[in-house]
Parts: sequence; structure tokens; C-alpha cells
Amino acid sequence: MTTSTTRSERFFEDVAVGTELPALAKVPTTVQLFRYSAVTWNAHRIHYEKEYAIQEGHPDVLVQAHLHGAFLAQMIGDWMGPRGRLVSFGWSNRGRAIPGDTLTCTGRVVGKRTEGSRHLVDLEVVETNQRSETCAPGKATVALPSREA
Amino acid sequence: MSAELAMLPTKDEIARRPEQVRVIGEVTALMFQRYAIAVGDLNPIYFDNAAAQAAGYPGIVAPPNFLTSVLGWQAGPAESDLLADGTEASIVAPELRGLRLMGGGNELTFGQPVVPGAVVTARRKLVDLYERAAKFGPLIFAVSDVVYTDQHGNHLVTCRETYIAAR
Repeated sequence: MTTSTTRSERFFEDVAVGTELPALAKVPTTVQLFRYSAVTWNAHRIHYEKEYAIQEGHPDVLVQAHLHGAFLAQMIGDWMGPRGRLVSFGWSNRGRAIPGDTLTCTGRVVGKRTEGSRHLVDLEVVETNQRSETCAPGKATVALPSREA
Repeated sequence: MSAELAMLPTKDEIARRPEQVRVIGEVTALMFQRYAIAVGDLNPIYFDNAAAQAAGYPGIVAPPNFLTSVLGWQAGPAESDLLADGTEASIVAPELRGLRLMGGGNELTFGQPVVPGAVVTARRKLVDLYERAAKFGPLIFAVSDVVYTDQHGNHLVTCRETYIAAR
């Protein structure tokens, strides 16, 4: 497999309040949901058995709550670069998603501050579907390297 | 719905519930690399020691929400120990047993990165259990704090975890 994707450095000085993160679009499939359940040892039937999911009132098998979070984390990780560090990250699951939905993660910088030697950037992020419905809003704080350090 | 509400414990009863401590097992590179592949997140710090070291880590690290996403640890429950919906008899709160469950979100605070060979212990404490009216009927929210540490006592991640249950 290839892991050759290059991720450029992101420095604290290059970020301003209002800076937008590049969007990340994901289209989960039943194969992805199956593999995500397998690697997280999650046997909850709503993620792989459509008839059961419907019986619980869902339109189809559901994207796992943690996978919504993983998509947001991927976008943040791509943006903050190799020397960025996640300090905190949280999201809420507000809307269901099913295979074939287009889930687009976006984010923007809402604050920046220096605490001791750490250069911190606060982010607001959100994952929305193809109908612009919110699936998972979230927040994160990342520490970025400084050009002065 | 007041009858259902009455089944929930009081704040004092919640506070008195003991913390659950579980040694959840050793993390291997294969486990978290499969996780990253399943997500479709090919960040080289999960796969390539040289790239991870260039990024300031001792070597490859796990994706940030890997640990807190894994629902069954050690070898995991036997199928006969799963409920009809495929979930493990709820370790979150017995009140959720047999209800329709959905993940409600996580708030993660990160410590040391999770590296291959980490032997992880999770300490779980229920912090809130409440009912809210929703469009399709009452929902129960169960909020727990789960603290993950390794065999050296390093703090890896703390997760405030919410599950949503419907009857």
C-alpha cells in the first residue's frame, strides 16, 4: 500500500482566526462499515445487518459514531501537518449517515494563543451530508510548531 | 414517561457507582494500521517509522481516536455473551440493557501518543445518566469518563463518552 501522501508543515504564525481547513469528503460504503466494525471489535448489528437496522427504525445500516469522529480527525491531522499535535478533540453525533452518503468535513480556526511554550490553535469542525444536514459538529485544539522555536 | 424517568438513578447513586477498571490489552501496529486503513486515513505517521520520527515521534503512533473506538478488548466476549442487538451486555450502565443504542459523541483529551507495545488499562466511571424528550420519544443519555493509561503509568487519552439509548 502507499503512504506516500505528503503533508506539509503548518506553522503557528501562518494561521489566523478565520483560516479554513481544506474540506475532506468521504463516501462510506458497506465494505468500509464492515471493516471498521471488524477492527473495533464492534458486533452491533445496526452497522452490518440492514434488516435489523430497519427494525430499529433506521433507513439502512448506520455509519458508526466513532467513524464520523475518525473522518473529522483525519481532516484535522492532514491540515495540522506532521509536527502538529492534537491536544483535545470532541464531536457530537447529531445526524445518522448510511452507506452512499457523501460526508464532507470542514473546519476553521476560531482562536489562537500561546500558553507557556505551546502554540495552540482552536478549531471548529463539522461533518455534513449531501443535503447539508449536520451529522457531527465538533471542536479541537491543536498545538503547532512555531517558526521562532 | 415519568415512570421511565423514575427508573434512572439519582446523581448521588451515580456518584457512588464504582469505577470499572479493565486491562484491555496490548496495542500492536497491525491493530491500529488496520484501523487507519478501515478509516481510509493513510497518514504516514501510522505506517512509516522514518516519517513518524521526522514528525517528532519515537516511531509510528496510533490514530487519535483508535483506542477509544474499540468496543471489545482482550479476546472479546463470546457470541453467547452478546445481547440480541450484537452489543456487549452494557458496561456503560445496566439501565441501557436491551435498549436501542447509538453513539452520541466523544470528547478526547490527549496525553502521550499510543505506540505499539502499549499495554492499556481503562478506568471507566459513569458521570451522568438522564432522560430527554425527543421527536420520536424519550432518549436516555449515559455519559462516562474513561481514562486510558499504559503499563508505565503514562496517560494516553481521557474520553468523555456519551451513549444515547431509546426504548
